[in-house]
Amino acid sequence: MRIFGRDDEPAALQPLRQIKLFSSLSARELKVVHGLRHERQYLAGEIVFDQGDEGQAIYAIVEGEVEILRIDGGGSHRLALLAPGEVFGELALLDQAPRAAQARAHGDCRLVVFFRADFMSLLETHPKIASKIALSLARHLGGRLRQANAGARQEGHL
Amino acid sequence: MRRLQPSGAGPLAWCGILLATTLALYLFQHLLWLVLPFLFGLIAYYFLHPPVQRLVFAGFSQEAAANITVGVFAALLIACFALMLPWFAAHAVSVQDTGQRYLQGGLALLDETLRALETRSRFMRDAHVADAVSSHIAAASEGFAQQRLPALMLGVAAWLPSFLLAPFLAYFFLRDGRRFQRFLARAVPNAYFERTLHLLYEVDRTTRAYFQGLIKLTVLDAVCLAFGLWLIGLSSPLMLGLITAVLAWVPYVGSILGCAVVVMVAATDFPGSPTVAYAAVGLFVFVRLLDDFVFMPLTIGRSLKMHPLVTVLMIFVGGAVAGVAGLLLVLPVLGVVMVIGETASIVAADPRLRARHAHARQLRLQSVTRDLG
Repeated sequence: MRIFGRDDEPAALQPLRQIKLFSSLSARELKVVHGLRHERQYLAGEIVFDQGDEGQAIYAIVEGEVEILRIDGGGSHRLALLAPGEVFGELALLDQAPRAAQARAHGDCRLVVFFRADFMSLLETHPKIASKIALSLARHLGGRLRQANAGARQEGHL
Repeated sequence: MRRLQPSGAGPLAWCGILLATTLALYLFQHLLWLVLPFLFGLIAYYFLHPPVQRLVFAGFSQEAAANITVGVFAALLIACFALMLPWFAAHAVSVQDTGQRYLQGGLALLDETLRALETRSRFMRDAHVADAVSSHIAAASEGFAQQRLPALMLGVAAWLPSFLLAPFLAYFFLRDGRRFQRFLARAVPNAYFERTLHLLYEVDRTTRAYFQGLIKLTVLDAVCLAFGLWLIGLSSPLMLGLITAVLAWVPYVGSILGCAVVVMVAATDFPGSPTVAYAAVGLFVFVRLLDDFVFMPLTIGRSLKMHPLVTVLMIFVGGAVAGVAGLLLVLPVLGVVMVIGETASIVAADPRLRARHAHARQLRLQSVTRDLG
């Protein structure tokens, strides 16, 4: 029997545990993050945020899928289809620049949302947790950059 | 998809903000038994918030940090009260006498000053200003003692239990403030969610900056006044400094009252030398100027980001609508209403957000009526 292991985590923490950004956090640290989250439910086709919106929050998918769309002129094309455990809108944590793409619920979905200001206060109150999340976020962004580079190479730009 | 960039609150929204603030002050005047404990609860909350944050930083949960901080603060208060009680019981009568003595001292100084002016001004001498003022004050104080004082004392006694609400409110703000914020955000439709979160954060930031600024301003004022009064040679400079700094929470009226208290004490402690009382007035004016031009911009001024004309105008409106309570409440209420009004006007004026909300409602309707044919 594990006394301090993940098996002892309350059921309420399980949705957060599957999110990649928080995979390195201990149960106690996850509980702190749990206190900061907001939960939202979206129906298929509902817009989570628009391209050009001022980003104030980062989203993580607990259930369902979310598509990321780039709006060009009158049309739109899909950049990614995200599954449970993945995060989006993460650039809002780094700056308050406008959203680079639109996020739309692909099916009915449940999301957890973390407000930028709460994350910033986490940096002051729990720097260890914040640095773990920041490291995960850096890895996540690094992965995105590698994907973009690979895509550009395939298209012959690099 | 065409996005219109929000351009801030327009003149109509600002009229609404000022009107809403006036209405809120009018309503608050009739709910003072609840509003004042709430206000003191908020002040206590923002006073105790930094130690709670330090404990959270040290690894305690929010609940444990709130329990420890409030527990230690309550224990300190009880200890102070227990230490002060025997002294107060022994000096209760003399405290009353001292009050009367200071009042007499202040009136004597006023009379002396007016008579000195009469010797230099023929116009004042012919108008018998000193006699007229003395008789007016005597009549007013007699009328006040007979008619207003009993009602005032009864009013204070009736209000006392509601003030016990303040520490409870402060404790629950400290413990469950974030939970309450999440609860409020849950009621907001998805389309407006991010903007509303931002609004809640801004309201919290504004009120926190205001009240923490107020606490810092009070400490700075109290220290400066106490130091100056100690240099002049007045008795109990620290207590006087603290009383006048707290009185200054009420714009204008509080400062005048504080100055009157200091002058009365100076006139009584040094009955033969009005120079000390004038020095106290000079010190008070100097600290007020320091307050208005140095301390206030460094503490409260930064928090409310309001045009000085609007601030002064609303202070007068607050006083006219809700008296002393209005003067005390007008700035924090205006700060909060301003943030809510500005954000609400931007959100309501954004056609894309309205369209997204309408689209979400349509989707919800479709999902619940899918099997109804």
